[in-house]
Amino acid sequence: MQLTTTSNDNLPLRVGAFETLVEGLDYAARGATGFNFFSERGKPSLSLTYREIRERALDLALRFSASRLGRGARVAMIAETRPEFMVAFFACQYAGLVPVPLPLSVNLGGREAYVTRLAAMMKRAHVSAAITSDDLFPMLDEAAGQVGVDCVGTYEDFAALSYAGGEIRPLGKEDPAYIQFSSGSTSLPRGVMVSQRSIMANARGIGQHGLQLRAGDRATSWLPLYHDMGLVGFCLTPAMAQISVDYLATTTFARRPLLWLQTLSERGGTIAFAPTFGYELCLRRAAKVEPGQFDLSRWRVAGIGGEMVRASVLEAFSERFADCGFDGKAFLPSYGLAESTLAISFSRLGEGVKTDTVDLEAAAKRDLALPLHGQGTSQRARTFVRCGTPLPEHRVEIRDTQGRVLPERRIGRVYITGPSLMEGYFRDTAATKKAMPEAGWLDTGDLGYMAEGELVITGRSKDLIIIGGRNIWPQDLEWAVETLDRVRAGDVAAFGVSDGDEGERVVLVVECRLKDASERMLLRREIAAIVQRSSGVACDVVLTRPNTLTFTSSGKLSRAAAKADYLSERISDLDSDAEQEAAYALAVGAE
Amino acid sequence: MSDTEQTVYDTVCELLQRYNREGRELRPETDLNAELNIDSVAAMDLIMEIEDKFDIDIPINLVGDLRTVKDLVATVRSQQEGA
Repeated sequence: MQLTTTSNDNLPLRVGAFETLVEGLDYAARGATGFNFFSERGKPSLSLTYREIRERALDLALRFSASRLGRGARVAMIAETRPEFMVAFFACQYAGLVPVPLPLSVNLGGREAYVTRLAAMMKRAHVSAAITSDDLFPMLDEAAGQVGVDCVGTYEDFAALSYAGGEIRPLGKEDPAYIQFSSGSTSLPRGVMVSQRSIMANARGIGQHGLQLRAGDRATSWLPLYHDMGLVGFCLTPAMAQISVDYLATTTFARRPLLWLQTLSERGGTIAFAPTFGYELCLRRAAKVEPGQFDLSRWRVAGIGGEMVRASVLEAFSERFADCGFDGKAFLPSYGLAESTLAISFSRLGEGVKTDTVDLEAAAKRDLALPLHGQGTSQRARTFVRCGTPLPEHRVEIRDTQGRVLPERRIGRVYITGPSLMEGYFRDTAATKKAMPEAGWLDTGDLGYMAEGELVITGRSKDLIIIGGRNIWPQDLEWAVETLDRVRAGDVAAFGVSDGDEGERVVLVVECRLKDASERMLLRREIAAIVQRSSGVACDVVLTRPNTLTFTSSGKLSRAAAKADYLSERISDLDSDAEQEAAYALAVGAE
Repeated sequence: MSDTEQTVYDTVCELLQRYNREGRELRPETDLNAELNIDSVAAMDLIMEIEDKFDIDIPINLVGDLRTVKDLVATVRSQQEGA
């Protein structure tokens, strides 16, 4: 099978210098680059040049507009890594419609939770139509039924609609581009309204400044297209820069992570990104990799984003794959979030991971990032990764709780501004106001400091749990557990605790009134199971006495307090030794 | 159970042993989440092993319906027939 070429011979590279996605795709369609899809076993399965994507998108756009979808209407589509998704996404651009990429779920037994999630997103985005592949149609159809969306079909269904009377009416530079759901909980999803202006600003910043895309670059990606890193970083930015991409499905990567390195090696990839855990998965499967089995010497940008960058994992990766030609200098730590389309800052190309080691106590007690230059003991030190300087036209400020701007090396909330910023969440003024308390500035909710003009992230927003690169909102886990018969609303607190370089572990503290130990055992299993089903994560279940959890004055559960109590062992399990002894002492005393 | 079904069941149970850290007795009704506590990464490993062992593909849309050992066996059987 013929893959798309790496460079266009007769078309000058033009990186992101367009006003709309349509203008950028029209330009890319004049060359021979495009997208390539690989099977679960890593074999090329399909290639589409940007020209072919444009032709198919134009055809589908006529059918969309002929089917009475008004200009600006939202069209939901499950963002599987397959050409039909890209075609439908761009068809919306040509038809003046706003695509709404939806996630793909893979949890064992998680069908019901997934359908509920799809329904909540479609409702939030007020979609007029929903589209997906044959495989996923039954679930999307069920979700659409729950929220009264009747225009639901497969890609084939939509491709078979009549185009009579349809017209091409592209989204213009003042129009929206798409809605990105990667923020907010499952039950109350928040759709980031990405405008043409912000996507083009971000694609330009990433392509021209962050990655400095050049002729000969080729991207390799397994990142899900329903996340900003996959969609913006490895679909829209490459398209706006006429770069070819080789895709593996996310599920393929999860099953066979080394196919990522193999594909990059065989196809001459120069650019690939992953959260730290992606590099970690490769390492875990690397036992049988032989020296020279992959050629990773052309990999000039090995980006890291999406969760806190863990330096030790990356170091282990570059040591392990050095004999395959991997150069640790290719690592490119970055920072961003969906609310700023994707990227905010990149470290400098070719410098690898730069860390900043600070005094732990000064950081924890005085919000001061005091650098330690090797003389401190490891006990009192904490090492963070530098995430580079903001993109041109973008600014970062570190502010204290009163909103005052802090100087270098003071830890505070990370605020950002610039042309990539969203205007707000789609039809959600309350959430928008909270995230953007001041016009033009976004409170990222993350904590960090500036060091020599570089951004260093020290912690994510306090309640968010990140497991294997996925954001997990504690309230989703709590609500799932509260649906169990023997658990009451308000009895549950979910939080993540750091296991150092192992990443995070989920803890569920549940107040329990069951006297019988075997009943408690059963409840533990039910809790673990429902957490698995709803979110696909394992958790530690702590059953504790009633009235253990702390609530704020406004009646909101304080997860921070629950976590602190758990870490300091003020919360203990009913079946732990200490509790058993206390109960025994009570029983003996009572007799 | 028919012969083939029994064979598939036995093989599936064999593959599951690696995830059965608490050494539970496996029954057709054993719940993969509740009793074996298989998380989403382990689930991918398990499905890959099953695919390799039986030389079948288990499409992603079927994963959401897999709750028990019995469901796994039924899916393997139906994918074998479809192949």
